[in-house]
Amino acid sequence: MDKTKKQAEKLFGLSVEEYEKISELLGREPDSFELGIFSAMWSEHCSYKSSKVYLKTLPTEGGKVMIGPGENAGVVDFGEGDVLVFKMESHNHPSFIEPFQGSATGVGGIMRDIFTMGARPVANLNSLRFGSFSHPRTPYYLSEVVKGIGFYGNCMGVPTVGGEVVFDECYNDNILVNAFTIGIAKKDGIFLSSKCEVGNIVVYVGSATGMDGIHGATMASEEFDLKKNKKRSTVQVGDPFTEKLLLEACLEAMEKKLIVSIQDMGAAGLTSSSFEMADKSGKGMLIDLDAIPLRTAGMTPVEMMLSESQERMLIACEKEKFPELKAVFDKWGLNCVKAGEVIKEKVIKFYYKSKIYKTLDVDVIVNGPEYKRPLKKPQYLNKIKPVKINNYKIPENLNALAVKIITHPNIASKRTVFTQYDYSIGTATVVPPGFSAAVLRINGAGGGRNKSKKGDKGFLLNAGGNSRYTYLDPFTGGALAVTECARNITACGGYPAAITDCLNFASPEDPEIMWQFAYAVEGIKSAAVKLNTPVISGNVSFYNETAKKDGDKTYVSKIYPTPVIGMLGFIDDAGSAVTPYFKDEGDEIYLLGSIKGGLGGSLYMELAYGDFRQKPADLDLDYEVRLQNCLRSLINKGFLKSAADISEGGIFTALAESAITNPEKTLGFDVNCDIKAHKLRIDEFLFSEFEQAFIITTVQKPDGRRKSETAAILKKYGIKSEKIGSVEKGAMKINGIINLKSGKIKEGYYSAI
Amino acid sequence: MDNKKIKAGITVFPGSNCDADVYRVLNSVFGVNASFIWHKDEIKDLKKYDFIVIPGGFSYGDYLRSGALAARSPVMESVKDYAAKGGITLGICNGFQILLEAGLLDGVMLANRSLKFECKDVYLKTLNTETPFTCAVEKGAVLKMPIAHHDGNYFATESLISGLDGKKSIIFKYCDEKGGITAGSNPNGSIRNIAGISNSAGNVMGLMPHPERSSEKILGSEDGGWIFKSIIKYIKEK
Repeated sequence: MDKTKKQAEKLFGLSVEEYEKISELLGREPDSFELGIFSAMWSEHCSYKSSKVYLKTLPTEGGKVMIGPGENAGVVDFGEGDVLVFKMESHNHPSFIEPFQGSATGVGGIMRDIFTMGARPVANLNSLRFGSFSHPRTPYYLSEVVKGIGFYGNCMGVPTVGGEVVFDECYNDNILVNAFTIGIAKKDGIFLSSKCEVGNIVVYVGSATGMDGIHGATMASEEFDLKKNKKRSTVQVGDPFTEKLLLEACLEAMEKKLIVSIQDMGAAGLTSSSFEMADKSGKGMLIDLDAIPLRTAGMTPVEMMLSESQERMLIACEKEKFPELKAVFDKWGLNCVKAGEVIKEKVIKFYYKSKIYKTLDVDVIVNGPEYKRPLKKPQYLNKIKPVKINNYKIPENLNALAVKIITHPNIASKRTVFTQYDYSIGTATVVPPGFSAAVLRINGAGGGRNKSKKGDKGFLLNAGGNSRYTYLDPFTGGALAVTECARNITACGGYPAAITDCLNFASPEDPEIMWQFAYAVEGIKSAAVKLNTPVISGNVSFYNETAKKDGDKTYVSKIYPTPVIGMLGFIDDAGSAVTPYFKDEGDEIYLLGSIKGGLGGSLYMELAYGDFRQKPADLDLDYEVRLQNCLRSLINKGFLKSAADISEGGIFTALAESAITNPEKTLGFDVNCDIKAHKLRIDEFLFSEFEQAFIITTVQKPDGRRKSETAAILKKYGIKSEKIGSVEKGAMKINGIINLKSGKIKEGYYSAI
Repeated sequence: MDNKKIKAGITVFPGSNCDADVYRVLNSVFGVNASFIWHKDEIKDLKKYDFIVIPGGFSYGDYLRSGALAARSPVMESVKDYAAKGGITLGICNGFQILLEAGLLDGVMLANRSLKFECKDVYLKTLNTETPFTCAVEKGAVLKMPIAHHDGNYFATESLISGLDGKKSIIFKYCDEKGGITAGSNPNGSIRNIAGISNSAGNVMGLMPHPERSSEKILGSEDGGWIFKSIIKYIKEK
């Protein structure tokens, strides 16, 4: 028995306690088939056993939310009979083992989640984290991941409209690939996995099942040991062409009302799709393993059940409609086979070689363990103190530092990345990647509908998070991920509506990591409640850590806690969205909001003094809501020509980007701010990050009416606005200290990566 | 003549993905009566259509070579017949690649010089405004349209190029904002900056950039619309 237990732990990733629990539930020891099923369904990846307790605390309802977490993706009402369906998911472990296929199938998987719901995918985003820019493996990961994302998304014809690319040495041994997809559907055209009826046929559609991705879910629920290359076969291989056919076939079958219930085969393939569909529908199933189309002859039942071959779906359909369903899939040249039946008894009976092979109780399998793992405040946090600025001498050449910051890989333009993605397909992308948030109009791919009186109704998308800040202060980092996405959406004139989260952490079995997780989720929750942006879907990725060897010494390389938020916002007229860049010489530049000057965690501290491990400034969430509402009111009045938030790289970076990202021309600015009035040192003013403020520009010499209306709006929300300068030609000047040539900065900004 | 009376056929292969965009733009923006032609449909005669568009995408996954498999599908036999009889045929992006593979246009497409997929706005110089695809374009006009392709590096031998030149079959070249045909404005390494060519009869054109993505102001350019306006004008005046 001990031998089997050990095997279970080694091969299947189950703990000894879990193995004993399974034996107790079955009344005997599990056989290898059962072990395979349990290991997948009870894996961290599928069961959320360590995170569930915390995820339950997140706000999931309210606003325009129609369906929250639990289904393949969340659904938000978009009015006039349309809904938007979105979710973000991680594909970290596979992408680290095989970056091209890992990222490609990550994109393929999240798109399947969306069209499983009956929605046509209309945009993708992604959040990518690589090791330090100078790490020898980083160019390889960067180029392969980007190629993989483009390979899949471009072929599917879904525009990739934004996201983020971040480099940090904490990802040297664990890169992160988080993929987001949003789709559009009719309100009455949403399909769920919970609608199976007794007597429905269970239909398998799409690609044949092969030997790829077996134990993928288990692999993604473990840290990497020293032999990660042996896990290559756990990575799936993607075929976007087949998925494009599957998309068209599924949507056509849905349109023709041939589908009762549907679930995609993602992590743990046939296992999770069959058990989850049965469980959510409160039914059971007969599954005929002899009917499963195979790529490799002689696959064993457990291999068929655990294969994560891509581009497959499980469908429940009314018996008499099967021929019609088959005709649709035939038209698109895809497999469509009867693989079983929905039954009343809540068990899954597997047939193999024409005999009953196994019968498994659905409740036993799906009701996996739930842990409230021990928490411990990480020791390192005791050393994280607010910056004592007087201990640091201002560097002599602030201009040189400013150049270093604006050309730093984390700040500089990611143009070389996003031009490898088709971002203009769909004729819906109004503001392309590279600015605040992506702005899309709805009537592009949808077919000319929803023209509101004002113009083309639109939506905005943004994804991001800051792991350094989360490392230094998990609560603030979690909250900041939400507010930062919202700032980007608000800066365009949009209304933040709902979010999806992708929570990337190291091992939950480490109490200090679990502590980071608990506080980061608390931060997300607080901000999501204040901003009224419910969390409608998401994913948790633990075990982003790798055992390393340095001479005789072994140690574990862990990522910083990395919560990433994907946010949806709405806008009445997509064409009126405000962009962050300056428009014309002579326009007045204002600072809207308050500046505190917290340098803790900033890029400046790292580059100037070699240490960013200081406490970031606190975030005032009530103020944040007022500030964003104030900005949106000003934009909606048509008073602003540009608006940019202040994020990484501080006010200097916000100003510089505003000057050089105008696609038509290169501009500059002349800024003079009374920093003494703000009680700030010049470097605090220039480089403090995530200030609760925006850089805005207005027309030259606003008239009296505009002035009084602006004053009224500022008063209403209790927000200060201060004129700090004006837009100029070709030079960047701040307080007589910063003096740089825009053209040169622009060149560096666009060529750094 | 009402635009609604103009019938456009849009071919759909497995893996086509710009079909819906072309359909929407032709119907909603230009008021043309556009409909899809499924690749397996055995429409022997396409003569009911006033023009045919082969849209972009990844037909048959672009396996083998971009456009190679689509060029050999049943509907292309009908398209060849249609083109031989003078039917107006426009191939966009993957559609251009298909026209080359089908032998309806001269030359080949290589992978972009960067060996990467490239998506961005480019400028095009119109070299010949006396074609069904450019007859509404102002002479020498510079048009802004987006490209989105991996294999758009057009290549042909010197003798083919001079043949194209002689027949004024080079319709569009990549250029800078002011119309200068420079190396810096060539996004993919295409020989002589070629972005679009026609057959010698002038009724078949292949174009790498996407006019359907630049036919509305809200998308940042309406310049692509001139291609469709030209086709409509040509059909009306025929």
